[in-house]
Amino acid sequence: MPKVEFGMEAMLDAYLFESSTLLEQLDEILLRTEQAGTFTEEDINEIFRIMHTVKGSSAMMGFESLQQLSHKGEDMFFLIRENKIEDTSFVYDLVFRMSDLFKAEIELLQADGEYEPTDFSDIIKELERGAAMLSGAVPMPETATESSAAAPAVTASSVEDIYMPGCIAVRIIFEHGIEMENLRAFLLLNKIREETEVIEYYPENVDTDSSTAAHIAENGFTVTFKAEDKEAVQKILEAALNIESFEFVEDAGAGTESPIESESVDDASGTLAEAKVEKAVSIEAPKKAEPAKAAPSASAGNNSGASAPSHLGGKQSIISVNLAKLDQLHDIVGEIITTESMVISNPELDGLQLESFHKAARELRKLTDELQDTVMSIRMVPLSGPFSKMNRIVRDMKKALNKDVDLIIEGQETEVDKSIVDNLNDPLMHLVRNCMDHGIETNVDDRIKNGKPAKAFIKLSAVNASGEVIITITDDGKGIDPEKVLDKAERLGLLMKPRGDYSEREAQNLITMPGFSTNEQVTEYSGRGVGMDVVKQNIEKCGGTVVVESKLGQGTSFVIKIPLTLAIIEGMEIEVGGTIFSIPISMIKQSFKVTSDQIIRDTQRGEMIMIRGACYPIMRLHERFGIPSDVTEFEDGILLLVETENKSVCLFSDRLIGEQQVVVKPFPPYFSRYNIKGAGLSGCTIMGDGSIALIIDVANLIEG
Amino acid sequence: MTEAKNVALSKNEKVASSGKAAVRAEKENEITKVLTFLIGEQVYGIEIPYIIEIIGVPRITHVPCYEIPSFIKGIINVRSKVVPVVNVRSCFGKEEIEYDERACTVIVAHEGVSVGLIVDEVLDVSSVSEKHIARTPELNRVNNNKFIDYILEMNDGVKLVLDVQKLIFDHDLASF
Repeated sequence: MPKVEFGMEAMLDAYLFESSTLLEQLDEILLRTEQAGTFTEEDINEIFRIMHTVKGSSAMMGFESLQQLSHKGEDMFFLIRENKIEDTSFVYDLVFRMSDLFKAEIELLQADGEYEPTDFSDIIKELERGAAMLSGAVPMPETATESSAAAPAVTASSVEDIYMPGCIAVRIIFEHGIEMENLRAFLLLNKIREETEVIEYYPENVDTDSSTAAHIAENGFTVTFKAEDKEAVQKILEAALNIESFEFVEDAGAGTESPIESESVDDASGTLAEAKVEKAVSIEAPKKAEPAKAAPSASAGNNSGASAPSHLGGKQSIISVNLAKLDQLHDIVGEIITTESMVISNPELDGLQLESFHKAARELRKLTDELQDTVMSIRMVPLSGPFSKMNRIVRDMKKALNKDVDLIIEGQETEVDKSIVDNLNDPLMHLVRNCMDHGIETNVDDRIKNGKPAKAFIKLSAVNASGEVIITITDDGKGIDPEKVLDKAERLGLLMKPRGDYSEREAQNLITMPGFSTNEQVTEYSGRGVGMDVVKQNIEKCGGTVVVESKLGQGTSFVIKIPLTLAIIEGMEIEVGGTIFSIPISMIKQSFKVTSDQIIRDTQRGEMIMIRGACYPIMRLHERFGIPSDVTEFEDGILLLVETENKSVCLFSDRLIGEQQVVVKPFPPYFSRYNIKGAGLSGCTIMGDGSIALIIDVANLIEG
Repeated sequence: MTEAKNVALSKNEKVASSGKAAVRAEKENEITKVLTFLIGEQVYGIEIPYIIEIIGVPRITHVPCYEIPSFIKGIINVRSKVVPVVNVRSCFGKEEIEYDERACTVIVAHEGVSVGLIVDEVLDVSSVSEKHIARTPELNRVNNNKFIDYILEMNDGVKLVLDVQKLIFDHDLASF
């Protein structure tokens, strides 16, 4: 079947994005509250709000199964809220499972091809049972929907019950022929609920009963709410889409008879229609001090919105953008900058006295620089997203494996290009699972025997170092036994050289070979023999590397290095014979001028220099790269002291150009057959003026 | 560039003047269009679908890596995309000449790989029909022929249509 009804495709993306964001939020709240051991009222309201929105939008998109699922989840929290239930521990697993199923369904919807709704009847049954348990082993009442939350046992079946003292009703007429009026009414109702307390609405069950659509189309949708919030509601209605007209029917105050007698619905709407004004509001007899009242209540409404913390604030300041558009934007900015320098350094301007032109040009350059920086930074997202997902995995596995583990997260603010973050999710998950499953000792006594605290830890950290992002996943578990690994590798025929030739480290890194899994027992979480292989492949896809470092009995570290690709680095631009190079600033210790007599020459014509008692070899970049350069005397050029983990070298270049943040681009695939990395180049970058600078890979430059 | 355009225009005019029937016949027989360009005295062609755009010869950044053959001149920035450039002259084992104002970079793409080809001069776009394709029973394997897909015999001379696939991917065929 098609995923959505005709005409709704455009909304599918928005729906998927919104729902998955909301579910992430739900997970976050659940994790936090579970750790704290209790729900605050705020949390419950927030959860309630999330479930409600998800339910509403699922209904609007016509995903019935998802709507039911979220409906049941909502019921549970409704009971928790209403009955002030303290002991909610069993709820977590249930709700986590629900959110997982929901996410899986969303993924299904995202995938290309046919979509068949999943049958959620099992989990729905469990949710119902959970709800029954919450309500004190009483079977869950069917009416436990949000409507009864506010209305004290009103089962309005006709419009007459809607008008109540101190209340105001509004009748909303939707544009003709927009379809799905009931769902639109439901969404509108949710919006109104954010501002005021809804007493009643008619027709009921708009979210579940699609036959109400016809009624709404004909007679409109009537909502009764507290009169003092009228202005806020009016604002909502004015802003809402697809509304043809709406009119307020005020309760004329105590004493007067109900404006509408027990008339039939059709009669009532007939009466109201007389007062109908096209997309205008007919306000009758404003009540004393009503505006004064309405203003504070509107701001109170805003406050209550803000107290549902991250979300409302987040929603206002963050929008979602298609990545392809960002790429496009980036390209355009690049073109603007190129064009700018074509204008500013146009040869036709040579020799002209253009003072104000140059001033304006400088201003323009400043702005375009800023524009470029901003565009570059837009693509960068912090690692906190994939990192915080690990909380959830650790939590689940802690329970399943009965291991006491703390997850420590560091450096989650490190920013990485969006496309890399997307590639990191799977590897991180596999690695954390591996740590939990294989790394941490099953038996706490083993830990204590080894002098380790009973509570294990897994540390997830990210740093931006030497132009690379280094992500480390460390556990303090039992470590990897190289002998065991070698045994297994031998058995599987994975050894490439005699067993004795493998160093400890090499042996440990064998676990990343395809088809290798040291665990004899295949568990639910890992040990299918694909985990580490997938990790390696995924990381290599974005040009990175994974290294295993392990000490038997002390723990294991997985070090993921994501290369410069796409990352923004702080680079020092230098020139060698007309070619511009960029060196990651983090590698540069210092730059300095020297004179020829400071140079020490060894017997093989090698050149060295003494700095603060240490002797460093000099590498002439023009010779290293074979670029003819006029600058060959030390007095004319400049030396840069660069340092890698185990080596330091002075690089001789023509001149320094300056510091610039650059987005690293890989060399075009055309070059993949040539060992450019070995030549000491890790990528290239497009400079502000449109020219290309080559990024030096210091480690390879020195080694090669 | 403008020159090339002019040539193309005048050609179209010629076709138009030769009557509607002729145009239709030509249209029906047309199997592809080929962009023609000069390397030295010889006219070469590349089928239009491969061509992304034609630009002048921008500033080329040389990639200093000894493994890279000398006919790959380096990389250029084409609207924020880094594209490698190949000097077709030196790829064909001809002596390189300085880029003059007529030299152009033809950006071609195949299987997601884009490459800029530096040619001496871009000529025009020719409509190719079956009858133009010369029967070449056995191309003898001399340097220049390795990259040639087929040969066109047209009124204005012989045109060698290049095999972009080989040009992009078979670096080893190049003589350098």
